Amino acid sequence: MPRILVVEDSYSMRAFVRSALESDPTAIGEVEVVEAASGFDALRLLPRGPYDLVITDINMPDINGLELVQFIRKSEMHKTTPVLLISTQSSERDRERGLSLGADAYLTKPFTPELLRQETARQLARGREQV
Amino acid sequence: MVDLVRTREGRLARRVAERGPVREFLAFVLAGELYGVELTRIREILSPPPITIVPRASSDVIGVCSVRGLLVTVLDLRRRLDLEEAPASRRSRILLTEVESGEVLGLYVDEVRQVMRLTENEIEPANAVLGGDVSEHVLGIGRPAGVVLILLDLKSIVAG
Amino acid sequence: MVEPTDKAREEFFSEAQEIIETLSRNLLALDGSLKEGALDPSLVNEAFRAVHTLKGLAGLFGALKMGQLAHRLEDVLDDLRLGRMELSADTLDVLFRAVEVFGQILAVERRQVEDPLTSVDELIDQLSALGAGAAHRPSPAVDYELDPAMLAVLTEYEEHRLRTNIEQGLRLYRLRVQFDLATIDKALEEMKERAKRHGEIITYLPTGEATSPDAIELDLLMASRDDLATLIGSLGADNVVIEEIPRRTRASIAAGAPSLFPRGTSIVPPAPEEAASLAAEAEAERAAPAEAAGSLRSVTQTVRVDIRKLDLLMNIVGELAIVRGQLGRVTDRVRSEGQRQLAAELQRLNRSFERRLSEMQDGILEVRMVPLGQVFDRLARVVRQISRELTKEIRLVITGAETEIDKLIVEELSDPLMHMIRNAIDHGIEPSEQRKRVGKPLAGTIALNAFQKGNHVMIEIEDDGKGIDEQGLLQKAIQIGKVEAGVARELTRDEILALIFVPGLSTKGEAGDISGRGVGMDIVKTNIGKLGGVIDVHSEQGIGTKMTITLPITLAIVSALIVHVGEHTFALPLASVSEAITFDGTGVRVVDGREVMTLRGSTLPLCRLDRLLGLRDAMRSPRQRRFVVVASLGNRRLGVVVDHLVGQQDIVIKPLGKSLSSVRGFAGATELGDQRVGLVLDAGALIEEVLAGVELRREGVRAHG
Repeated sequence: MPRILVVEDSYSMRAFVRSALESDPTAIGEVEVVEAASGFDALRLLPRGPYDLVITDINMPDINGLELVQFIRKSEMHKTTPVLLISTQSSERDRERGLSLGADAYLTKPFTPELLRQETARQLARGREQV
Repeated sequence: MVDLVRTREGRLARRVAERGPVREFLAFVLAGELYGVELTRIREILSPPPITIVPRASSDVIGVCSVRGLLVTVLDLRRRLDLEEAPASRRSRILLTEVESGEVLGLYVDEVRQVMRLTENEIEPANAVLGGDVSEHVLGIGRPAGVVLILLDLKSIVAG
Repeated sequence: MVEPTDKAREEFFSEAQEIIETLSRNLLALDGSLKEGALDPSLVNEAFRAVHTLKGLAGLFGALKMGQLAHRLEDVLDDLRLGRMELSADTLDVLFRAVEVFGQILAVERRQVEDPLTSVDELIDQLSALGAGAAHRPSPAVDYELDPAMLAVLTEYEEHRLRTNIEQGLRLYRLRVQFDLATIDKALEEMKERAKRHGEIITYLPTGEATSPDAIELDLLMASRDDLATLIGSLGADNVVIEEIPRRTRASIAAGAPSLFPRGTSIVPPAPEEAASLAAEAEAERAAPAEAAGSLRSVTQTVRVDIRKLDLLMNIVGELAIVRGQLGRVTDRVRSEGQRQLAAELQRLNRSFERRLSEMQDGILEVRMVPLGQVFDRLARVVRQISRELTKEIRLVITGAETEIDKLIVEELSDPLMHMIRNAIDHGIEPSEQRKRVGKPLAGTIALNAFQKGNHVMIEIEDDGKGIDEQGLLQKAIQIGKVEAGVARELTRDEILALIFVPGLSTKGEAGDISGRGVGMDIVKTNIGKLGGVIDVHSEQGIGTKMTITLPITLAIVSALIVHVGEHTFALPLASVSEAITFDGTGVRVVDGREVMTLRGSTLPLCRLDRLLGLRDAMRSPRQRRFVVVASLGNRRLGVVVDHLVGQQDIVIKPLGKSLSSVRGFAGATELGDQRVGLVLDAGALIEEVLAGVELRREGVRAHG
């Protein structure tokens, strides 16, 4: 069962993402969702991987999503793990930075659960191809 | 390659009241007549537990009781509808319904019969006065399978 | 399939509420800093962040109106923080209004009702009108020798923070810190606290170069006015390397060389075990801040709880208390049947059970407690609004906001408190010229104070206004017939002041004025009464007025006296019972139309519960021994006549539903065991009801006593 790490400081957002990923097994199959409430939480949870996908918000206090992407790409365990960024519409620059740092795709808020599932399925598939 | 993802604005999910062609009513007996209320409004049917009288409450209120820890005010439907009094029997029941404020009220009835399904055609709007104060609380008359069912508007009844 | 939006919806409402409250506090702080002329930019930033988050969530959960409003608000805040717009009191007004409207929208969304919320559109227009044109500024960060890798991972927001700090002339530092992953939360929180005193941490970048898998190395980019030596002195440690990031020299700019971090003194980071023990020692040495101001997000030591779940738990505790009582009775029976040893054992067990139950009860009660600050914050907003409306300058001083009280009580407090503060500002505080004339400071002061006293919480609202016009009040009372002219002369000052709680009295003279002292205060008193509390008033003309509210700490579980009246069972919370005595009907006199008896030399008004509540009299002989339970609240007493004292019991008071809201005299109902329900008497309400009118008439020992 693929493990997805969701990094997001807003708890209702986390609840939304979790619910979207778990509520329709036909779309993306059964997944295990692990939540991190901050960049620090993610740093602590990453060594307990490997994860098959990391979904992270860009705009978080302290360690932001971009820094997390950079860190992930430097790590042995998650060098090639797909990373999906969540950004706001207006921060084009952040998104581009994220992609250049090694993230694979992004979703801009607000997005529907279906969109999230679609993108997740896509990224999980890519991850499997690489192996 | 970079996948560009379009966004859509979320919409507020609204629960649309069931307006299918068939409506379900719970039929019960009050002072010898058969009445019905929308089944979806009834949370639970129970045998009356001990009811504590509340002094100074209006005469429609029989009292309060505890349902698994929840305090429920029990209304005397016969009084509310201005019908004849009748003693409690083995078959008396309390129908629990939730009102707009979130409070759970209990409706005391003489006997619960069954669930009846009525299509819109089987329901006549009420324009006949059936004695007492009934008319303002009556949605209409249903005639499922030859039985006369007086359909009550729960919302109006609990509003007092 | 349940939509994720539905499932996560509750969380959304909860979080949105929190954000709105944070925003409110934030705006209040901004207001304060504006008044003092020193605008704190980090406050604007925080407000921006909050609104930004709210916008995102609103969009996700389909709260359209909220999203629209948040978007406009975000634009305004963005202009403010980027310096494109000045923050004025008017702008702040609009921002405050927005916070209120957010609250309204949230309430509407929660109830899923249709509400056009036209106020939102108006507000959105107002906000759009505030907007200013955009002006893009180049990033001055290139003038510093910042590692481009670090620059690359700054979000737009963080870049802005960096830019702002640089523009204000602060220096940049890089702190390279080694942390043990296991203890990173605490260590980091401490570091943050200490660093805050020196400046702002802009971002934390994991370097990915920790020496061991259990450690992590972070680069902190920090802006500060202090010099390197000071920072090293305060923040330096064996696992911390601090370096200043110098401005690029002409030479290096000219050479166009990308600069790297100047590697100065680098200390080989100690191995994690050493780091851990060093950190531990250092912690022990340092006077660690007793409470970190809020824990790190990732270590959530708090759990959000739905208060309904707490009610459920309280129910169970209540039922266990009943079981305990029953066990006690069984134990008694066992003993009376001669099984002393068995009875003793049962008793021991029961006592142990009781102890644990009591602990659990305390534990749950503690969870229900929330600080009064929640309500006080809201009040502060209202004060601000009213003082602007009435152009009276008001200084609000709040103390004791951390005093805790049951969450359910807090919810019901904001209206009464709001009312009283409104009154104080409206009618208490004089207009500025008048204050000047009598030598008072121009700004009126309203002091809101809360503290715990035994089993009660006291809330005081004091103003330094003109006080209550006692004579005017008395005249009005006589005029509308609430007091007889003859009796008026004999009223004490306290009794006169208490007149403000009589419905229909208003010193302003307008009967329908909601803000009038009289019309609103009786409702306030009733509402406080419903919470089991009382309200007292003191006033000195020309000096000010002070209202004191006494509230029970919790409504949840209380000790009560169970009594019988005829076939009815009632419970009377022990907190309002001072004693119970036998009563045989002798010694009862009628004074001023009311039955009284003498208790140890003073007069005790009586109330026959069966008559008061209209209970059908059971057949009883007039000589049957009955009891008088002396209910007392504040300095008022009432002797309640009952038939039988059953005993003491811990009960969980459940409020009566809205359908019974017109029934007076009951605080709620409780389970008595075997599914039976007993009504809980509201001592305050009973006292009120029976004694109404006695307050307006002098009671005394008459000749025919």
